[in-house]
Amino acid sequence: MTSVAAPAGGAQGKQARSRSSTIIYVSTGTVLSILFLLPLVWAVLRSFMQPSDITAAPSARAFGHLTVANYSGLITGSIHILRYVGNSVLVAGGTAVLTAVLATLAGYGLGRTRFRFRGSNVVFALILVTLMVPFQAILTPLFLELSFLHLLDNWLGLILFYSTFNLPFGVFVMRNSFMAAPSELEEAAYCEGAKVLTTLRTVLLPLVMPGVATTMLYAFLFAWTEFLGALTFITSINRLTLPVALLNVETGTFGQVNYGFLIAGAVIAMVPCAVLYVALQRFYVTGITAGGVKG
Amino acid sequence: MADIELSHVDKVYEGAEAPAVRDLSLKIADGEFMVLVGPSGCGKTTALRMVAGLEDITEGELRIGGRVVNDVPPQGRNISFVFQNYALFPHMTVYDNMAFGLKLAKVDKATRDKRVRETARMLGLDEYLNRKPRALSGGQRQRVAMGRAIVREPQAYLMDEPLSNLDAKLRVSMRAELARLQRDLNVTTIYVTHDQTEAMTMGDRIAIIRRGQLQQAGAPTELFYKPKNLFVAEFIGSPSINLVESSLRADGDSLYADVAGQPLLIDPEALSERPALRGYAGKRLIIGIRPQDFEVGVAGTRRRGCQVEAKVELVEALGTETNVHFCVNAPPVITDEVLELAADLGKDEATRVERKARAGRNEFIARVDPKTQVRNGDTITLAVDTAQMHFFDPETGQAIR
Repeated sequence: MTSVAAPAGGAQGKQARSRSSTIIYVSTGTVLSILFLLPLVWAVLRSFMQPSDITAAPSARAFGHLTVANYSGLITGSIHILRYVGNSVLVAGGTAVLTAVLATLAGYGLGRTRFRFRGSNVVFALILVTLMVPFQAILTPLFLELSFLHLLDNWLGLILFYSTFNLPFGVFVMRNSFMAAPSELEEAAYCEGAKVLTTLRTVLLPLVMPGVATTMLYAFLFAWTEFLGALTFITSINRLTLPVALLNVETGTFGQVNYGFLIAGAVIAMVPCAVLYVALQRFYVTGITAGGVKG
Repeated sequence: MADIELSHVDKVYEGAEAPAVRDLSLKIADGEFMVLVGPSGCGKTTALRMVAGLEDITEGELRIGGRVVNDVPPQGRNISFVFQNYALFPHMTVYDNMAFGLKLAKVDKATRDKRVRETARMLGLDEYLNRKPRALSGGQRQRVAMGRAIVREPQAYLMDEPLSNLDAKLRVSMRAELARLQRDLNVTTIYVTHDQTEAMTMGDRIAIIRRGQLQQAGAPTELFYKPKNLFVAEFIGSPSINLVESSLRADGDSLYADVAGQPLLIDPEALSERPALRGYAGKRLIIGIRPQDFEVGVAGTRRRGCQVEAKVELVEALGTETNVHFCVNAPPVITDEVLELAADLGKDEATRVERKARAGRNEFIARVDPKTQVRNGDTITLAVDTAQMHFFDPETGQAIR
């Protein structure tokens, strides 16, 4: 931001420059924040309005009649939103855990020189290549594969599908995290009598925690918001995840479109993501930079 | 506790031209403090890591306590390794760092606690048991690393330059402490350093390694007084040995060495200890004179013909000793060994040696009695203790014996 301010000499100029750059920084930040936050705030506000007010043009009167009816209707009504929240937590949580475990093991193997083997870089490159494949392109073969494995309309199938597409990024992050961990710590653990997996668990894992958090968060958010796969692979209404269930609200499977329910459902879907992100943000940022510096 | 024996051990890294360690045979007795020393990259750390099991052994045999352990992983060797950067587990407290190995060895909690606390007391760490490593000073971290090694009561301690990250003053005090600790515990120790002072003061025996090959192994005084080659002579001792190219002249039964135009009578006793020396009469060779084998003046003790004239260029009065720098009228001795050791001391030293070589200046240092009043620019007579002179073949660098 300082580059925007005109250069000036002397202590006074310096002070003036820092003040003007602060002003520019704060005002730009404020404008951008408003730009990004307004739709969210708008959605949250509207989720507390009565259905008739939501579809009408915005008016001051509508804000005078705020209600939690949309939420209570979603939770207690025929839609059973909490069931779908539960489904999503299970699927997204399972994806996060499975991805983290596999990515950690793979990252450990690929990131430590101790385990280098001929072609380990090729293996890593191949894993990264799969990042470039959009999963929509292979939806049909995946459908057939899951069908063959009798994992259609099954959360395990969905978790496997999500994990597969999160693993390349996860392995990338974990490999870089392990590469950044000093090898002496591992060797010290060996000399103290720790076997490979004990060393991983007791000594290295705490050091690569930022990477694990990044991987888990990334996988969780992906699974939590993913729509097309869930729509394709899950057929029973009771097993749907939240995004697909919300679509049902919209397309009126349960009757006419209820915008109040829809917006309240979206807010409910948003909350865990926001909470998780804020809680893990510190890890998330260090995880990505740790990968970036040593990559 | 156990003895350690390396026999004809080689280490070849994949893709490397020269082996990192070549035909290394070394026997370390039970309870002995063995120091591996040499310039950086000479293979001393590789050798140590092979003993620990952190590097594979390409060729040869390694025994710890009589058992061949070539294929035993580090976990099974019951040794402790102290790393240069200590390698303390950053997320664990001092207590947990020290208890780590005992926990893995399934030592019961009461015994574990007792041993950790005893070791901590011995090292003065009792107050810090609940701290994380990052809240400790360099010296304290070093102690924790030692504590982690000691508490397990292993067969041997392997230490890789454990003092090199400390500041100079602390290093000197830790050096003494560590040496005393090792003597008290009487555990076989291999200690790697590139600091010859550390090696001389701590080791029961020293093994000097150059380019992956053992040059000489022996007690500190043996290496100092009877170096097997130019490299060992140059490496051990501070200030380092003065070298000059010379030729030998026989005069009856006596041999004279020509040092920058001044004949030095070689001590008959030294001559009888080195029968091969007579064969060098009329030939070129390299003479080494340690700084402390000079003495100002001719007073009494020295025989005629064992003196050199010197024009003093610089006097360093250090209180306990005085170093007198002077030039001798002879080209400097610039061998591979000299260049290698200068390069190891850093770029400045390497360029200094190069400059000297180009200028053809051979600078000597004499360490003399601090009571002598020598001033810059004086021309003085220095007596040489020719019984302590060293002779080397200019081609092979081997000592002439």
